[in-house]
Amino acid sequence: MNREREGGAHGGRYLVVATGEHLCAMAVEQVRSVVPALTVVPCPATDPNLLGLAEYGGEPLPVLDLAALVGAPAGAVAEFPVTVVVRTRGEGGSVGLAADAAVGVVEVPPHLTATGSGLVQARGTWQGTVLHVLELAALGGERRQ
Amino acid sequence: MSVSAPTGRDGAGVGLAVTVALALVAGANLVFAVARGAPAWVFDAFLLAASVLLVVYVVGAYLPQRRSRQAQEAAQRETELLGEALLTALESIRRGNLTHLADATAPMPAELRSAFEAAVTSLTSLVQQIQNSSTETAAASDVVHTTAADLASGSAEQAAAVVEITATMEQLARTAAQIARNAATQAELAAKAEESGTAGADAVTEALAGVEAVQQRIADVASRADDVGSRAKEIYRILDLITEIAHETHILSLNAAIEASTGGEAGKRFTVVAEEVRRLAQRSRESVESVRSLLDDFAASIRAAVVATEEAGKEAVRVLERSRRAAAAIAELRGALSDTARAAREISLATEEQRTASDQVVLTLREVSEVIHKMADSLKSFRGAAEKVDTLALSIQLLTQSFRLDSPRSLKNLVERWAAELSAHTGHWEAVEGWLAAAVREAPSVELAYLTDRNGTMLAFALGGDAKGDAQVPANVTVGANFSDRPWFQSTMRDGCAILTPLYQSMLTGEPCFTVAAPVRDRTGAIAAVLGLDVNLRSWTKI
Repeated sequence: MNREREGGAHGGRYLVVATGEHLCAMAVEQVRSVVPALTVVPCPATDPNLLGLAEYGGEPLPVLDLAALVGAPAGAVAEFPVTVVVRTRGEGGSVGLAADAAVGVVEVPPHLTATGSGLVQARGTWQGTVLHVLELAALGGERRQ
Repeated sequence: MSVSAPTGRDGAGVGLAVTVALALVAGANLVFAVARGAPAWVFDAFLLAASVLLVVYVVGAYLPQRRSRQAQEAAQRETELLGEALLTALESIRRGNLTHLADATAPMPAELRSAFEAAVTSLTSLVQQIQNSSTETAAASDVVHTTAADLASGSAEQAAAVVEITATMEQLARTAAQIARNAATQAELAAKAEESGTAGADAVTEALAGVEAVQQRIADVASRADDVGSRAKEIYRILDLITEIAHETHILSLNAAIEASTGGEAGKRFTVVAEEVRRLAQRSRESVESVRSLLDDFAASIRAAVVATEEAGKEAVRVLERSRRAAAAIAELRGALSDTARAAREISLATEEQRTASDQVVLTLREVSEVIHKMADSLKSFRGAAEKVDTLALSIQLLTQSFRLDSPRSLKNLVERWAAELSAHTGHWEAVEGWLAAAVREAPSVELAYLTDRNGTMLAFALGGDAKGDAQVPANVTVGANFSDRPWFQSTMRDGCAILTPLYQSMLTGEPCFTVAAPVRDRTGAIAAVLGLDVNLRSWTKI
């Protein structure tokens, strides 16, 4: 509940995206933009969640597999996949999250279960689907790790 | 006084009467003269004259008359002897014996005997000729009778056959009439069917045109369906474009909302706009989905319509082909119906002619039947006449058998010959049976030969050849039985010669027969026994 209140400190609005058979919610303050799925160029990397690099605003943008990050099972083939460009801890740093669809900007319901630190801050059910509340700041730390 | 010539017994009597009358008149005159006192010489003259007259009478009349009477009596005796001989011969002939007449004719003068024997010979020849003729007549009448019977039987069969043929021809005529009616009906039906075929051909032609038009319409529909399909693809492409636009709008609204979240108070108002834009994008996507769904249904319907149209087109082609074949078949059918109608009319005419011919045949057959019936009646009469002729011939045969002829066919001759031979057995009849058995073997027509004594007691009998086999001797025919009441026995004993009985039914064979019998005489000429032969008529007439 403290986490919910802390979330509420972010203004209480989240961008909800679908990935696999789950939903992921991320604070809109941490999101730069949502764009149709960028063309990803695979690159050699040790991070299995890294799909590759994409070109965004004239700069290379690493794109991560969101479903792999939250452990969501694969769903149907996405009709209109999107790439969510999010801010990381570093100055001006951005990361792309490959998702199946952008659901909308919504108020996250209060009955979530906190899962502790890390990317997934809380987990619950929203409109009958598993919802993961993400702390995108963790992406920078994780990357640093 | 006059003396008449002795011409006979009556003449002599008259002369004597005249003489006595003259003497009485002269005596009366003499008594009257004496009474009146006449002289005595008158009396003497009268006596002298009377004496002279008496002498004259005796010499001139009485003596010649007496000689004549003796000669007359001798002649009369000769005549009586001749008459008796003639009577005996005629009696023998009356009894039918035309043989052994020498004794009877011996007293006759040679000329008379010769004439009598010539007459008997002629009579014998006549009887034999009658016998032969009657035999031939009987045989001929038997043939005629048999032929008439065969003809009657044949005519009866022929009449029956004619009746059957008549019935068949009547049936044929009825059938022909029925066929004629059926053929006429068939001709009418065929004509109607031909008309219907013509109408059907027209209808098929119209149907062909209709089917071709339908085929063209189906082709048009298929073309239109293709156009609709192309248009639908265009719509899908537009819908995809709209969907993509709506998605981008959605993303744009999300970005707007994200930006608005960081825009303070102004950002809040912008958030509302962004939300409206997102909702608009959402409705656009939903509308597009609805349109897509409808378009899917429409496209499916179009595809189904295209498939159905293609099938309908194929079916139309098949229908067209079938219709063409049907048109060809109807054309052939029309031709066949026309031929059928013509054939039916010909059949009707032919069967009508056949019926007329059959009626004529039936009439002719009825006439033939009448003729056959008349012929059968005539044959029946003819058969009756043949039977009468046969009976008459047999009667003549039997009648001629009443004469004993020196002929093998003379039964009287046979029985008397056998009787003469049996005379040798007089007094010891025990060997007669074997003799009879041997004798009947020579006479096939003899059913039964038997011998009785002069009292009618059966001494012996033997069955003839024709009577053997299944024939049973009647129970009353036994040795020792008495037959004195039988006509053949009584007639033989009465007449003392061979006799012939009328026809009767044989108790042995059940067939017509008659009996011929003759006396068997001993050495003294007395009847010692009677021999009887039962002769089978049919067997006898075949000989």
